[in-house]
Amino acid sequence: MIIIGEKINGSIPSVAKAIAEKNGEWIKDLAKKQTEAGATYIDVCASVEVGEVETLHWLIDLVQEVTDLPIAIDSPSPDAIIAAMPFVNKPGLINSVSGEGDKIAKIFPVIADTEWECVALCCDDTGIPKTPEDRLRVFAHIMEEANKYGIDPSRLHIDPLVEMLCTTDDAMANLGVVMSSIKEQYPTIHVTGAVSNISFNLPYRKIVNLCFMVLAMNAGLDSAIFDPTNRDLMGAVFATEALLGMDDFCMEYITAYREGLFGPIK
Amino acid sequence: MSKLEELAAAVETGKAKIVPGLVEECLAEGIEPMDILNKGMIDAMGVVGEKFKNNEIFVPEMLVAARAMKKGVEVVKPKLGAGNSATIGKMIMGTVAGDLHDIGKNLVIMMIESAGFEVVDLGVDVPIDKFLEAAADPEVKIVGCSALLTTTMPSLRDTVEALNKAPNRAQFKIMVGGAPVTEEFAKEIGADCYTDDAAAAAEAAKTLV
Repeated sequence: MIIIGEKINGSIPSVAKAIAEKNGEWIKDLAKKQTEAGATYIDVCASVEVGEVETLHWLIDLVQEVTDLPIAIDSPSPDAIIAAMPFVNKPGLINSVSGEGDKIAKIFPVIADTEWECVALCCDDTGIPKTPEDRLRVFAHIMEEANKYGIDPSRLHIDPLVEMLCTTDDAMANLGVVMSSIKEQYPTIHVTGAVSNISFNLPYRKIVNLCFMVLAMNAGLDSAIFDPTNRDLMGAVFATEALLGMDDFCMEYITAYREGLFGPIK
Repeated sequence: MSKLEELAAAVETGKAKIVPGLVEECLAEGIEPMDILNKGMIDAMGVVGEKFKNNEIFVPEMLVAARAMKKGVEVVKPKLGAGNSATIGKMIMGTVAGDLHDIGKNLVIMMIESAGFEVVDLGVDVPIDKFLEAAADPEVKIVGCSALLTTTMPSLRDTVEALNKAPNRAQFKIMVGGAPVTEEFAKEIGADCYTDDAAAAAEAAKTLV
C-alpha cells in the first residue's frame, strides 16, 4: 500500500495556525511522526490565500530537514505545483490533476520525461460525475492524455473520488465498479483515494474509515491519502493485504507489527 | 561479521533469496562444508526454535527460516564428501489413522529436518501397518506419531502399542505429539518422548540419537 501522509495541510486549523505563526517545529514534528508511522509520501498543502508558492517552499524545506521521504505537492493550482517542483530533493508525487480546465495540459508535459508520479481525479468541468460510467469516461480521457505524453500507467494514481456516504448511499458500490474497471484496464496503475471523505458528517468516523479501507482495498485501492499515525487504520491495511493474499507468510504484517506501526504501544 | 555469521543471520531472518549466495561465498572462502551446514544453518535454526519456544517469534517466521535453510542445504549438500553424511539420523513421521491433520505434523517435520535429520513423511490417516512397514527400515532412529483430536488418541495408543511389539523395537525411539496429547498420556501409552511444540521436538530428537 502506498501511503500518502495527509497531516501537513493548511486546511487543518492547527496547521493553518502553525503556518501563520511560522512555527517550523510544528511542521517538522508532523513530518517526523508520519515518517515513523510508515508513510510513503509526505503530502504538503499550503491552503493559504496569498503566497502559496512561498508557503510551499517553506513547508517543503522543513519537511526535507527531517525526512528523506518523497513529497506530494498538493495544490488545486497547476501553476503553484510547477513552481514548487524545483524545491524538492527528489521526484515525488503531483497532487493533483483532473479533467478540469488546463490542469493536465500544464502538468503532463512537465512530468513527461521524469520519474514524477501523479494523482489524477476522475472529475472534469462538469463536476463530479454521478455514475460510474461517467467517471470511467473521464478516466479514459486522462489515459489518452497520459499516453500522448508517454506517461506510464504505473506512474499514475487514479482517484475515482470518494464521496460522503451519508448523502450518497451507493458511494461504495459505485467506487467498487470504477476501481475494478480501472485495475482491469491497466493492471500496473495505482488506485488512490482520500479515505476520510467517506465518513464526513457521521459519528465515530474512524470505524467507517477503517471499514471503507478494507472494502476499497478489496476493489483495487493500493494507494491512499490518510493519517498514517492512525494505528488502527495502519493495522487494517496490513491485515487486509495479508487477507487478500498479497503478503507471503504474513511476513509484512508481522514485520510492521514488530516495527510498532500498529498494535498496543509498548 | 564473518561470512558464516552472515549466513546464520540470513537463515534466522528467513532471507531465502540471499542464503544460497552466502553459502557459495562461504565455500569460496574455504570454509568446511560441514561447518557451513552446522554452524551456519543448523545452529541458526536452533536459535529460531528457541525464540519460538519463548514466544518471541511467530509461526510464519519459523517457516521462512526453515525455507531459507532448505535453499542453503541444496547448495552445500553436494559438497559434503562421501562418509560425511549431511544427516544425523533418519526419522519417519505420520498422523495416526482416522486423523487428517497435516499442518502441525509438517511444522514438526520441518523443524526436525532443520536440526539435521532426514525425515520420511508418511502423511495423514496412516494405518498401523504402514507405520510398522516404514519402521522396519534398519536406518530409522525415530518414529514420530501425531494425533490432533481427542477422538483419535485411542488410535495413537494402538499405533504405539503395535510399534512397541516390533521385532526391531530397540533400534528406534517413539516420539508423540499433538494438541490433546500430554506428557502423562505419552508415558501411559508407552512412548519414549513427548514435546509441546515443533521447536522442542527438534531439540528432543537430537538427544534421542
